[in-house]
Amino acid sequence: MKSNNIHKKVSQNVMFWIFRIMSFSVVAILFWIIGFIVYRGIGVINWEFLTAAPEEGMTKGGIFPAIVGTFYLVIGSMLVAFPIGVMSGIYMNEYATNKHIVRVIRIMTNNLGGIPSIVFGLFGMSLFVNKLGFGDSILAGSLTLGLLALPLIIRITEEALKAIPDSYRHGSLALGATKLQTIGRVVLPAAFPNIMTGLILSIGRVSGETAPILFTAAAYFLPKLPSSIYDQVMALPYHLYVIATSGTDLEATRPMAYGTALVLIVIVLIMNLLANYLRKKFTK
Amino acid sequence: MKLEAKNVNFFYGDFHALKDINMKIESNTVTAFIGPSGCGKSTFLRLFNRMNDLIADTHLDGECMLGDTNIYDKSISVDELRKTVGMVFQKPNPFPKSIFENVAYGLRINGERSKSVIEDTVETSLRQAALWEEVKDKLKKSAYALSGGQQQRLCIARALAVNPSVILMDEPASALDPISTSKIEELIFELKNHYTVVIVTHNMQQAARVSDKTGFFMLGELIEYDDTKKIFLNPEKEQTQNYITGRFG
Amino acid sequence: MKHTESELVDIKNSISEMWNLVQSQFEKAKTALLNSDEDLARVVISTEKRVNAFELKIDSDCENYIALFSPVAIDLRLVLSMIKINKTLERIGDFADGIARFVLESDEHGSHLELLKEIDVETMLVAVETMLEKTLQAITTENTAQAGMVFSIDNSIDTLYAEAIKKLAGHVVTNPNDALYVLHLMTVLRKIERAGDHCNNIMEEIVFYLDAKVLKHQKK
Repeated sequence: MKSNNIHKKVSQNVMFWIFRIMSFSVVAILFWIIGFIVYRGIGVINWEFLTAAPEEGMTKGGIFPAIVGTFYLVIGSMLVAFPIGVMSGIYMNEYATNKHIVRVIRIMTNNLGGIPSIVFGLFGMSLFVNKLGFGDSILAGSLTLGLLALPLIIRITEEALKAIPDSYRHGSLALGATKLQTIGRVVLPAAFPNIMTGLILSIGRVSGETAPILFTAAAYFLPKLPSSIYDQVMALPYHLYVIATSGTDLEATRPMAYGTALVLIVIVLIMNLLANYLRKKFTK
Repeated sequence: MKLEAKNVNFFYGDFHALKDINMKIESNTVTAFIGPSGCGKSTFLRLFNRMNDLIADTHLDGECMLGDTNIYDKSISVDELRKTVGMVFQKPNPFPKSIFENVAYGLRINGERSKSVIEDTVETSLRQAALWEEVKDKLKKSAYALSGGQQQRLCIARALAVNPSVILMDEPASALDPISTSKIEELIFELKNHYTVVIVTHNMQQAARVSDKTGFFMLGELIEYDDTKKIFLNPEKEQTQNYITGRFG
Repeated sequence: MKHTESELVDIKNSISEMWNLVQSQFEKAKTALLNSDEDLARVVISTEKRVNAFELKIDSDCENYIALFSPVAIDLRLVLSMIKINKTLERIGDFADGIARFVLESDEHGSHLELLKEIDVETMLVAVETMLEKTLQAITTENTAQAGMVFSIDNSIDTLYAEAIKKLAGHVVTNPNDALYVLHLMTVLRKIERAGDHCNNIMEEIVFYLDAKVLKHQKK
């Protein structure tokens, strides 16, 4: 009886420590990566790096065109994905009465979210770049990235709407509001913080993607900023890939690569923190 | 005659929830529905502003009259109906907006633009709901800063702002403490001067205190419907007697 | 004021009205007896119906109040005491009616007013009136300070009653022809004495309502 108890205690303790070490190691790895990037990249970060174009085979100068390009692609993809995603989410949660149809749509969007991003890239290339003739452009890249972000936005919108209690809807309907008024004036405003959080998370996701823009938008090197949505752009993740693998002088571009990685990580980090902040602020 | 149910039968799918109900409700009275859980009293209440329409796979036979019109007629606009027949729910459900905007909501969805009309109506409605004095200095604050009882009175004010003639209340005080409850009851008693009030309640004493007429429901049937005094002093039916004396079951 | 409270106030007002009615009945019966005023006696008898109707109304008001408002504590004591006071007041009304009937039927047209003076009926009647007055004051002012005074008036009525009986016995001995009248008069005296007892009970009910003290069956 007694020895059994001790045995139980020991196994409890062992398992507890295993769980604890595992979860700490995740944090440790994250900090290691960030620390490594910061350590190697911080040296090249200065005003010129952020505001100048690459020079001399990307061994000098900065990454300004890539920052701007990523910015354009993010804006473009959100203009595509946000309305479509939010409206689909509204349809699925508020309007669709047939449970089976909703389930089919949900399975489809989940599958869409599971497709590897390189496949999105290939699809975007064949449809937007070639078939529709947009060429390698901000437009084609935005559409492709938008498709990539769509499942996330739909799911988050749906979850955000589901979290709104029916009592709000009933209260509004009982006052003689139409369904559209109810959604527009009560449900969406209440779900807004969570939908915004989703938007920001998907911005974080989109800004870090390389594969979808590889064949649809990204340029190896552009001396000037894009002037229309049919222009190619540089983008941070692709630029990082390029200078890390195929520069003229890899040793010389190495610090630039770490600098670029640092900028990219900081952007994504800021986006995530902003999402967290907004969620906390609005749920108060 | 304000409200009337004629041979009402109601079904959830195959479940026969209301059986052959006939009832007449006079203007400017408080009518209470009592009965054990699942007896159909709330279902019956929600027929009068067609909230049951929101539930899939339901079916109504018979007529529900508001004045001379059958509210289930095809020509009736449900939105307009609900402006005439307001509703207060069991749990206070203010919108996550300011106190002012909660009351103004009904006006805004009706397209009212005039700031002064909205402000006047908000004040009048809050006064009618006996809440004005408590909130007049914090109209811009969130409705959720109010206590439960205040929230419920806010919901009543919100319903009054669209100028209904009938107010349905589905257990309006069951989630409140005794003092808030007595405030709500007092308010219900006042409201009948201007409105026709129908209230569903689990609390028999509440029905006795506030209502002029009481209907007792059991298993989807209207067992007895009479003056509240009669029901509580000398009910006709043994089932009513057993229920109100607590000998039920 | 809450509507539950206003219902209670209505009941209290009704009982005050009933009180006033009974007081006026008793006062009229007194005047009719002392002056052998048969017209006034008829008024008392016809008004008795109103007293009875009042009793029924207050009874049903109290029943409804209990059924609808489930009163507790002071509200419950109030309603319970109202029911009892109501019944008691009605009995006092009955006594006034009985005295009026005596004036019409057995008074022999005022031929014995001297005897009434001799046994001091007036003092007894006035004492009952005072008790009615004091108890009404106690309930309207919600103050039981004068309860002791009411009880002592009742004691003095009892004394007066005992003395009057003795005097009447003497009177019968000297005037055997008045025997029948005296026997009838006895019932009137008895009613007056009982009216005093009833006022006593009313005061006890008021003390129960206001102070939650049970005085019944404690004294004497």
